[in-house]
Amino acid sequence: MRRNQIWLSIVAVIAVLSLIGCNGSKSGAGADGGEGDGKQLRQLMPFERFEPNGDAVAQYLKEKTDYTVKYEMLPAENADEKLNLLMANKEPYDVLKLAPAQYYQLVSSGALEPLDDLIEQYGANMKQVIGSESWEGARYEGKTYAIPETGGGSGTASYALVVRQDWLDEMNMKAPTNLDEFVTVLRAFKEKKKVIPLTGGKVPVHPDIASVFGLTTAWMERDGKIIHSVEAPEMREYLAFMSTLYKEGLIDSEWGINTADKSIEKVASGKAAMYSPGWWVAPNLVNALAKNFPDAKLGIVPVLKDKAGVARVGSAGNTINYFIAVPKFAKHKEEAVKWLDMKFDKDIFKGIAIGEEGAHHKFEDGVYTPIMPKFADERSNASSFLTGVDEKNYPIYWQARLKKNPVVESYFATFQKNAEGLLVIDPMSAAPPIPDISKNLQRLNKYQEDTFINFISGTEPLDNYDQFLTEWRAQGGEEMVKAANEWYAKR
Amino acid sequence: MKTELKKTTTKPSTIRISAGERVFHALNYIFFALVSWTTLFPFLNLLAKSLSSEEAVLSGRVSLFPVDIQFGTYLYVLSDAKFMNAFMVSVTITAAGTAIGLIMTAIAAYPLSKPRLRGRKFFILMYVFTMLFSGGLIPAYLLMHRLELIDTLWVLFLPSMISVFNMLIIKNYFESLPDELEESAKMDGATNLTILLRITVPLSLPVFATIALFYAVGFWNDYFASMIYINSPELKPLQLYLKELLIHSNITYQDGGHVPNIDAVMNTTPQAIQAASILVATLPILLVYPFLQKYFVKGVLIGSVKG
Repeated sequence: MRRNQIWLSIVAVIAVLSLIGCNGSKSGAGADGGEGDGKQLRQLMPFERFEPNGDAVAQYLKEKTDYTVKYEMLPAENADEKLNLLMANKEPYDVLKLAPAQYYQLVSSGALEPLDDLIEQYGANMKQVIGSESWEGARYEGKTYAIPETGGGSGTASYALVVRQDWLDEMNMKAPTNLDEFVTVLRAFKEKKKVIPLTGGKVPVHPDIASVFGLTTAWMERDGKIIHSVEAPEMREYLAFMSTLYKEGLIDSEWGINTADKSIEKVASGKAAMYSPGWWVAPNLVNALAKNFPDAKLGIVPVLKDKAGVARVGSAGNTINYFIAVPKFAKHKEEAVKWLDMKFDKDIFKGIAIGEEGAHHKFEDGVYTPIMPKFADERSNASSFLTGVDEKNYPIYWQARLKKNPVVESYFATFQKNAEGLLVIDPMSAAPPIPDISKNLQRLNKYQEDTFINFISGTEPLDNYDQFLTEWRAQGGEEMVKAANEWYAKR
Repeated sequence: MKTELKKTTTKPSTIRISAGERVFHALNYIFFALVSWTTLFPFLNLLAKSLSSEEAVLSGRVSLFPVDIQFGTYLYVLSDAKFMNAFMVSVTITAAGTAIGLIMTAIAAYPLSKPRLRGRKFFILMYVFTMLFSGGLIPAYLLMHRLELIDTLWVLFLPSMISVFNMLIIKNYFESLPDELEESAKMDGATNLTILLRITVPLSLPVFATIALFYAVGFWNDYFASMIYINSPELKPLQLYLKELLIHSNITYQDGGHVPNIDAVMNTTPQAIQAASILVATLPILLVYPFLQKYFVKGVLIGSVKG
């Protein structure tokens, strides 16, 4: 009997093995299938939560361009390490869609193919729809190594304060218009409603409050020079103000550890009165609140003004979000650029972004409206398939996506209306990846975040600000500012 | 434990100690109950979340019991082709990895457990050397590439076929088996293979069960290898799928509210579905434990050697 059992398990193992064998060889064949025929390409894209090869946009592109493209994604975590492994291994990708830091890393290590000649020869469409400023941003040592992909238009407001309007009405108060009124409202929420007046998550520089002090974006222009906002004297005033709010209990005592989810949870459960969400999280917030308190109402607070009556809204501007590059060891460089250029064709580009008229969207009175649910089913991940955009038309197509959700649409519209004429664009938005900034920024941001949380919560006295600034400069800040100014002067 | 307590209480001179002991035991119970509660609580919380409505989860009303009970999340997860595909990949590599891993580890351990093997110390040292030093990530990747294992299921279990630590455990177990068993089998005319298959293996089931569990849990939970070596979406195992499901599109204020991919910020996975996915992914490996339990408690060797 024992022997039978042993044989049985051996047979079982062999059966499993042969199964895997089949599997392995199948997938191998799929990957190598395209070698002979030039119409097959392989693209690497950043991580996104969907399966690109089965997506409707992939199908659409296959029909329209006649190229079969195998899409692969970097992992969600350790993406840079994986990218380096793939490049060290000369994995035969034809097209890479890269985040700015990744692009800089690869271009400076010589892994990318200069595209000037290929674009000259095959890139008629892309040369037409991408602006010269964006092309400039993709240049490295005088050569173009990538197609720059910009976003949904220059300058939009992403955040605004929202407030429990029903509570304001109950207390006979109006939405605040400047910092003094803001503090009065927060005090009223604390005393009369006994809730957290303002919640927020791990935000060292709260955009809606900091902009009142003149701190609009991380980089700012002062007298023709670029400075980082930590160097601005207003930063101290801002931190002092936040610190007094914290001491008085007017902002969440868990300010240093709140995540965005946690902050939404506090507003939705009626524990907090004000919060500054991005327009894209508005549906979660609004729906959860409505379910818990059917009578609750959220109001969007107009941009707060400073003592001189001036309001500002910082905006990152229309930066280059992705760089579309071709690696040096690609097998089909010409085909890759030809394919990329086809995607800039007016009709094909529109088809990628918002689908076919009548099927995926309607066009009425100059406005594109998605047709649901077909648009959601077939174009929900279309942005990932973009490899550069038609800079004139894409901002219009981009806004069509907002109409997928009425809450998003109305919040976005109100945020923009309130910010109209008040936008201050980050002066570094058009800059190409600058090595001295790329290598320091993430570390310094973390250092700034940690220290600012301490300043706000009072664990570290604000008198130490000079010390922080010296340390910030020594750890690479000085280098960063210098490099930023060099670019700005040459621009 | 109870009998022990009774014994001490019957002796009048030790009443005091017994009271102290009782307090000690009571505190022990409380302490370990709290410890087990802290490990149990996250599971119960996930279970409650997976059965609650998304609005209730978002507003933080769910802790131990579901609010607005629904089962749609489980229907969604179980009918999601991507999830099921990842699930099957995980089942395959766990089954194959555990079976082959166990066989390979056992046949590596068997000769090393015999003192008559020439150069035994040298071979053991070779194995132990790999426990302490490894080539590093990039050489490993290049090796897998040369072996043409990248982006195949093989790469997920073949390289980790023999864990030296597990091999040493099995070797020590083999060494603890009485030599007399082998001698008596030899007298009956058994060959080396017969001894291994008919005497050593049946006697070693408890250690095999333990090691099988180590391997199974290891393969089931591994996501690093698949993250590094797998490119094709259809070959991604469950843990990688989960990892990707749970990652948030992280836009911070420091980016100035900059939205690089509008679809990414608008497509969020409801938290209730995340919770359901985690539970469905964890359950199979939890279910293995009760079946292996009996091997842990049985003392197989009792009575095998007489005289």
